[in-house]
Amino acid sequence: MADLLTGYRTLAGPDEMFAPHGEYRFAYREFAERFRRWDADEYRARQSASDLEQLNGGVTFTVYQDQAGTERIFPFSLIPRIITAEEWAVIEAGLVQRVTALNRFLTDLYGEQRCIRDGVIPAELVESAPGFNPRMRGFVPPLGVWAHVAGIDLIRDREGIFRVLEDNLRTPSGVSYVLENRRTMLNVVPDLFPAGSVAPVDEYADRLLEMLVAVRPAGVDADETRSVILTPGSYNSAYFEHSFLARQMGIELVEGRDLLVHDHHVYLRATTGLEPVHVIYRRVDDEFLDPLVFREDSALGVAGLFEAYRAGNVTIVNAIGNGIVDDKVTCRFVPAAIRYFLGEEPILPNVDTFVGALPSDLEFILANLGDLVMKPSNASGGYGIVIGPQASAADLQAARERLRANPSGYIAQPLQEFSTIPSFDGERLEARRADLRPFVVTGASSWVLPGGLTRVASDSTSYIVNSSQGGGSKDTWVLRPSRGT
Amino acid sequence: MLSRVAENLYWLGRYLERAENVARMAEVNYNASVEQRAAGGDDSQLWTALVGALDAREEYAAAIEQTPDLSPGDWLIFSESNPNSLRSTVTLARSLARELREHISREVFEEINLLYLSATRAPHTAGMRPFTASVKRTVAAIVGLFDNTVLLNEGREWLRCGLFIERADMTSRIVDAKYFILLPSPEDVGGTLDTYQWMGILRSASALEAFRKRYRGAITGVRVAEMLMLDPDFPRSLGFCVTAFTRHFERATEATPRQQSLPANRELALLELDLGAANAEEIVEAGLHEFLDEFQTRLGRVHDAMTDGIFRAVPAAAASR
Repeated sequence: MADLLTGYRTLAGPDEMFAPHGEYRFAYREFAERFRRWDADEYRARQSASDLEQLNGGVTFTVYQDQAGTERIFPFSLIPRIITAEEWAVIEAGLVQRVTALNRFLTDLYGEQRCIRDGVIPAELVESAPGFNPRMRGFVPPLGVWAHVAGIDLIRDREGIFRVLEDNLRTPSGVSYVLENRRTMLNVVPDLFPAGSVAPVDEYADRLLEMLVAVRPAGVDADETRSVILTPGSYNSAYFEHSFLARQMGIELVEGRDLLVHDHHVYLRATTGLEPVHVIYRRVDDEFLDPLVFREDSALGVAGLFEAYRAGNVTIVNAIGNGIVDDKVTCRFVPAAIRYFLGEEPILPNVDTFVGALPSDLEFILANLGDLVMKPSNASGGYGIVIGPQASAADLQAARERLRANPSGYIAQPLQEFSTIPSFDGERLEARRADLRPFVVTGASSWVLPGGLTRVASDSTSYIVNSSQGGGSKDTWVLRPSRGT
Repeated sequence: MLSRVAENLYWLGRYLERAENVARMAEVNYNASVEQRAAGGDDSQLWTALVGALDAREEYAAAIEQTPDLSPGDWLIFSESNPNSLRSTVTLARSLARELREHISREVFEEINLLYLSATRAPHTAGMRPFTASVKRTVAAIVGLFDNTVLLNEGREWLRCGLFIERADMTSRIVDAKYFILLPSPEDVGGTLDTYQWMGILRSASALEAFRKRYRGAITGVRVAEMLMLDPDFPRSLGFCVTAFTRHFERATEATPRQQSLPANRELALLELDLGAANAEEIVEAGLHEFLDEFQTRLGRVHDAMTDGIFRAVPAAAASR
């Protein structure tokens, strides 16, 4: 271990494995007992075994900009994020609270809009938001659930508190890597697992399927419910995940051309004729779902799907129109929405957010851009981010101009010195920033997958963890209560 | 089963069988050419014959216009620009397997993926033999794994349909290869060289040992034709493949509306009847090449009837519910 950790330096944020004075944090004590016997050669040998396993298993994602090898394995780091049972209990309760409020928020925004009248969020921010879909007005999906699968991005801040960075309520991806990472760990480093104390993750597919059945259209028998996963196709970056989930649940993976709508009902084109479909877990964005209603040029969707949905003959998971609340702008108002709809204090705080669309916030951003991180309000994947403290004067000036020209297009947050986890750089361990995306599945009730996807930056200077920007992932261990107290 | 999935499984079967056949034919050719060169002969005709049997003479001619020193062997096995090369066929099979992940087992996918990775990451460096050998082994492993790890359902029948129609087509091409290897003069028919060439044909179809068991006597054109085309017990003969295909097709379409499967069924029934009534001597007399040509055309009609009638059928208006 001495070998691997020579010169290990923590960064400005806290380190998940080491407390400030260099001792192991409680969560890592048992792990460290086992891991400390490793040297760099051992680490390299295990890492190549793990890479080979993922490559051979086709556990890959597609990089759009890359012409040559379009499929890559997601860089995977063998040192897990470990969370104690106590910490997890807080996160879990906070996530369930948040998703419950978000679903109510959506029902209200597309319904009576009481929250606007009561001052939770300004009307102009709702109506003008690109994520607001006027066609969904007056619609309530089965069980009032819009965000059936939510991926909520968390970071641990300087004070050690988990904060919400953003909500992903449209088609959040990454859960297949959670399950595959665990499988890889169990195959490649079984000796690192403390016996019987890590919460398993393999329940996910069962819970997902249970949810799909729970939100079926009215009048359909549970045993007769036919669910499918709708994918944009095998060239999509997350295709592995779509196919993985279909396999795990034993349901059909379909493309738009496999479905057709007749008389406001959805059918699947089978060798035996047409078969009815009741629930569509779609991994296709809203605007590509139905060429008759959204983008005409979409070849990924199904003509007539939207009308079948509005008629209540098919349930679309996640619901159409969720973009209005997983917007980086709306995120600022979620704590207020939690207080308003549930009458409770938020268990998980937000990262402080300033939105260009609010005049007072805009002024603050312009004055303090050098200390802030500015992001486009409607982009994901880590694209278009300006990191104030790292940007040149010219970059800052250009960013201010973009902001002035289109204030509502941007938000800003203080640069977060979020927590790091040791990762191997080829020779030794170095501290790299990592976030956490837990997954919440909501049907009749909400269930949180223990752990989630830990994404890690590609080197110790980077603040960006997205896979599209070279980031990697780690397994996430939630310790069982017996060991965690 | 989804029509698209059924079609993909059918094509996966075809590509796997095609890869295995091309690998085997190339291997036999390779051995024969080493032998010929050792004896001071010219081996180029062997490879052009294979290109001809695979119906690829024009494509190869176009390819060597671009790259004059491209050998027919390299073009058939390793070329990335040849969409029918062994390497390209493996790549196609793998991309279908990726689309079919939830219909094949993890074991099956991993075998195909490993083959693909080895085909694309470490190409000709080791030469043709290791590659063709690993294709043959892997395809056999995949077909076995499919039997032992995948649910016995409609999907498996479609894969089998693909395997058998492709095998029938490839066997007909193997026999036809003889047509493209010229004998120096008509008197050589039945001579040593002729026999030697027929032996090569048997080897290309993995049929030499079976032939020895079936016929105690000399290797003649009529006997080889009889065995590879009409023998109901030899698993690569045209007759065997058509019968097997028919059986799997019937199972795959058990629940398909009759009007959709009828056209393909009709083509198949006629083909099976004609093969059953055929006589090897008469075929050789009338022209083996012409017979094989017609056989390939009729297989193509079965394929088209199946594609139009089942995989890509425009469904009749949905049953109202």
